[in-house]
Amino acid sequence: MNGLFEHHILSLIVFLPVAAAALLFTRTSWDAPTVRRFAMFVALLVFALACYATSMFLNQSATERGQFHLVERLHWFGDTDSLAPVHLQYHVGVDGISLPLLLLTAFLTPLAIWGSFTGIQDRCREYYSLMLLLHGAMLGVFCARDLLLFYIFFEFTLIPLYFLIGIWGGSQRTKAANMFFIYTLTGSMLTFAGVLYLGWKASLLPLGADKTYEFSFDLDRLYELAAAGYLSLDVQWWLFLAFFAGFAIKVPLFPMHTWLPLAHTEAPTAGSVMLAAVLLKLGTYGFLRLSLPMLPEASVALAPFVSILAIIGIIYGALAAWVQDDVKKLVAYSSVSHLGFCLLGMFSLKMAGLQGSLLYMVNHGLSTGALFLIVGMIYERYHTREFAKIGGLARKMPVMTFFLIVFTMSSIGLPGTNGFISEFLVLLGTFNSSKAEAGSPAGPLGMWYAIPAASGILLGAIYMLHMARCVLFGPLKEPGHGFDSSTGLTQDLTRREIGILVPIAAVCILIGVYPRVVTDITAPALQSQVLTRAHHMVKRGPAPAVAMHDVAPVSNRCEVEVAR
Amino acid sequence: MDLNNVETLAILIPLLPLLGAVAVGVIGLRGLRSNSHWLVLIGVGLALACAVRLFMNINLALTKGGSGCIDGLAKSWLIYGWINAGVTWMNVTFRIDSLTCVMLLTVLSVSFLVVAYSVGYMRDHHGHAERGYERFFAFLGIFVFSMCMLVLAGNFLLLYLGWELVGLSSYLLIGFYYEKPSAAAAAKKAFIVNRIGDFGFGLGIFLIYYTFGTLDYKEVFDLVAKMKMAGGAALSPDRVTAIALLLFCGAMGKSAQLPLHVWLPDAMEGPTPVSALIHAATMVTAGVYMVVRCNVIFSASHYAMWIVATIGGITSLFAATIALTQFDMKRILAYSTLSQLGYMFLGAGVGAFDSAIFHLFTHAFFKALLFLGAGSVMHAMAGVIDIRHFSGLARSMKITATTFCIGGLALAGFPLLAGFWSKDEIIHAALSSDMPWLGYMALITAWMTAFYTFRMIFMAFHGQERLPRDVHHAHESGPWMTAPLLILSVGAICAGYVGVTFGGHGFLGVFEPHGEFHHFLSYFTSGHRGTPKHVGAAEAGWLLGGHRLMYVSAAISLWGIGTAWFFYRRRPTIPLAIAFASGGLYRLLYNKYYVDELYDLALVRPLRRIGMVCYNLDRYFINAILWVIAAVPRLIGIILKGWQTGAMQGYALAMVVGLLVMIWWMLVAA
Repeated sequence: MNGLFEHHILSLIVFLPVAAAALLFTRTSWDAPTVRRFAMFVALLVFALACYATSMFLNQSATERGQFHLVERLHWFGDTDSLAPVHLQYHVGVDGISLPLLLLTAFLTPLAIWGSFTGIQDRCREYYSLMLLLHGAMLGVFCARDLLLFYIFFEFTLIPLYFLIGIWGGSQRTKAANMFFIYTLTGSMLTFAGVLYLGWKASLLPLGADKTYEFSFDLDRLYELAAAGYLSLDVQWWLFLAFFAGFAIKVPLFPMHTWLPLAHTEAPTAGSVMLAAVLLKLGTYGFLRLSLPMLPEASVALAPFVSILAIIGIIYGALAAWVQDDVKKLVAYSSVSHLGFCLLGMFSLKMAGLQGSLLYMVNHGLSTGALFLIVGMIYERYHTREFAKIGGLARKMPVMTFFLIVFTMSSIGLPGTNGFISEFLVLLGTFNSSKAEAGSPAGPLGMWYAIPAASGILLGAIYMLHMARCVLFGPLKEPGHGFDSSTGLTQDLTRREIGILVPIAAVCILIGVYPRVVTDITAPALQSQVLTRAHHMVKRGPAPAVAMHDVAPVSNRCEVEVAR
Repeated sequence: MDLNNVETLAILIPLLPLLGAVAVGVIGLRGLRSNSHWLVLIGVGLALACAVRLFMNINLALTKGGSGCIDGLAKSWLIYGWINAGVTWMNVTFRIDSLTCVMLLTVLSVSFLVVAYSVGYMRDHHGHAERGYERFFAFLGIFVFSMCMLVLAGNFLLLYLGWELVGLSSYLLIGFYYEKPSAAAAAKKAFIVNRIGDFGFGLGIFLIYYTFGTLDYKEVFDLVAKMKMAGGAALSPDRVTAIALLLFCGAMGKSAQLPLHVWLPDAMEGPTPVSALIHAATMVTAGVYMVVRCNVIFSASHYAMWIVATIGGITSLFAATIALTQFDMKRILAYSTLSQLGYMFLGAGVGAFDSAIFHLFTHAFFKALLFLGAGSVMHAMAGVIDIRHFSGLARSMKITATTFCIGGLALAGFPLLAGFWSKDEIIHAALSSDMPWLGYMALITAWMTAFYTFRMIFMAFHGQERLPRDVHHAHESGPWMTAPLLILSVGAICAGYVGVTFGGHGFLGVFEPHGEFHHFLSYFTSGHRGTPKHVGAAEAGWLLGGHRLMYVSAAISLWGIGTAWFFYRRRPTIPLAIAFASGGLYRLLYNKYYVDELYDLALVRPLRRIGMVCYNLDRYFINAILWVIAAVPRLIGIILKGWQTGAMQGYALAMVVGLLVMIWWMLVAA
């Protein structure tokens, strides 16, 4: 049993929800409460497994934490005998970058499922099995150590979410689901081209002492390929743009963000939570995992371009959020603004910025996820989210008010909450990017990027407090029919709803007061997986001519192959 | 746990009020309800005891050690590593020195009295607690915690934490009566205007880190004193100026200086004890504290000092002119707070950092007293606070009227009361600086202060008794409220004497400015004191000779009070006549120079319009482009569809043409 856990824990984490989803889908006889309990149980089990995996990870010494652990590697399919062998494999593992995101996913999914208990009344079985399927796919992305596997999980998240939005969404659900699907799929097609190109490129790199060559997507090999200088600046440019197409749409980066407000608004509560908390992070995670360490020269060259888009996004998203008349849309636009910070910190190529960026992914997941949950709780009661129809709810829902204020403060980065730490680190990294320090060479950004971006902290306060002012304060305003108690809801939050929000709030405060619970895990990995690779390559300059010479025999061989 | 240990005491000071607040949240809301105040009262009371103990320890250490060196006298230590910023760490560090002690004592003593006062104020006349009673005390506890963190911080980041947390408490407490739209709007406005200042403040912190590679007070101040950057390169004066001005942006927001003053008068929507504590005595002085704390940085830049002094002086005069025309007691006091804060910045800006803190100290007592007195009136008048609606309250509310009058005298700079000593020092410093015109401006402001304070006192407390319509008889408030008033009025009379020396041939033959207070504080300022701008003394020579300025400012104060008496007691028609005669000017002052309207027109509306443009761009422009892109495959499909005719001849023709092209190509290639 111990061996099973030690060697297969990540596979267990990824495939347990998938298997449970399949099982659940076939249990047509189960009634709704059983289905809910089952889904909740599975999600909690996954969370427990993730905690166990974390504890195993933490057993490593601090220096070891920069590397991958809990690795599992299996030959998947491919032909190793032919002249151009293909070696596709199942390869999973976690390091300090993916672990916090894995935990975030495992932490929020049970809460999102718990949050759907009253909101989802029809087709429960399908709903929860899709949620579990989505859960598995998201966990898979963060575990994958093989580019193809990563891409498969990355794309697979679309399918359950497409149905979740399209079936259980709001009035414009079909349009939202289609737009979401086609938008993101279009981008990831280009990414796939980049993935294939990298796999082919990997076949040019001799493997081991006996100099064999194979078509591979193994990330370790691809990093090796990049470090050996096989990717010239031109190639990096194209690859960067290919990845950019998929990831920037996912993030979403201005001006490719227009799918987001619609999808967020139309999705059921749990869908919005998952979308904001985890799915957007797939884009930023992709940049962090693939673009920066593998294509550092192109990243540095294109950093101003990405950062300017990010800054426009910060300001544009904030201003657009301010003029919304629907709470959920406001929160949706706030994501556009927040994710801009996330990318900005990353492209500062400074430890502070990277730390901030990764922490921002976690924090945005927590606070925005919780905000969507609260918006959902309000919606379940009043069946409206418009500022014109609801207001002054503090009078009737003091507990909800407490939580909404807590997450509002977290969202606008009040010190003492998690949001502050990440916002501060991102801006600090960006501001200091142009400065070379001991052990940390200068990055591509500088204070002229940080100054406009810092206006986001002001604009954030404006739109979030505008929301709090409209929803919570002022004279009580509710739709004529009052609140809907048909599903057993009370006027203020029920115990279940409080139980959902308390853990999130506790983690928000914990990270704000003692952020090292996250940063101590992330720091070594960011250093060894991202910064060292990026700096090493940028210092080395463009690919040396010697490397191209090395390539020659292989390409000849390919031509022979083609000719035959 | 060793209670003599400075480190233990310093940790207990913020922790106890926080524990009180959390306890209210946990047990107050369920069991204690209208007895919840005990939790916070005890928490703040114990914290005050700790602060007194701390002060005694430090004072003892100072008198024994006695050297002027800051390293021996300031203690800073690490609590825990907070943020890992890659190359360096941002830590939770505390720092204790004489400035910290003075601030802690001021903050905690006023807080304690205000919490006690609130027990009486937050109830109706039958002793029933108001709705949200527990919430109110929890918020007060959070505020005291935040303010102590702000003061105890040993680096800029922790300062920023306290800075923002007091902003949160202020937001929550201004919006305490959240059902009132004006209160909800005022809370939001306070937070956002503060954030505008913090935008600059935050950038200042980034620039400090960028320049010095650290955020620790001691390291930064040491480097600035040597005019060095991290790594030893010379620090350019422009960089220091930029840092100082960015930090000052934060101070302008928090301490409501021009042009970010707009939130403070609106903040009076909060319960009156809150106005007394947060918006008069403690939180709004955080900006002054910060400037004094960073005196090394500020005094290294002549230009920044000039800006600080000028903004302070102008705000002081500007706010006093508005206060002349207002009728809401709390708003008059709010503008007077702006004006007094302006004095403090003026003092700091001309290099008299100790005088600024001295004024902060005395002002805390008399301004808290005035606000609490106004609260007592408001409580008796069933929430009416407009001085046109009542008068002659002195007969029925003897304690309130007397203590209010003492506070008013202290504010007006009446000789021998607290405000007189500290204000005089600042004016003296301004006159002897290279900007004496600011000193003359401060003298004019002093006259206005005396006038508007006593205009308010005469209108409210004197004359024949008149009450608002709903109030049948005015009655004195209960002991929970009057006791703090009495204690504070002792403070308003006596607080100044810690800052003067007796004996010699000074003012009235007895008093010399600068006393024990300045001596104690000098342990903080002397270590890194910049060059005070005591130049250009010749220009204002006559006033500065002997103790003439003290007599002059005493006379000005009496003149202001006398004018108010003449206008509002002897000839009540004069003010009206002046108001009519000055017409436009009066309206300008009465409407607070239309600054709010200006901001609305110049900033808020355009920004919202841009927001609308962004949103519509999303909906119509970007999505239209997408629609066009999405139409391309369909368009290609439509074109290609036309070729799929199904007619054999067409296909055969295409085949032949294709073959010909291929043959031609092969021939040419060969």
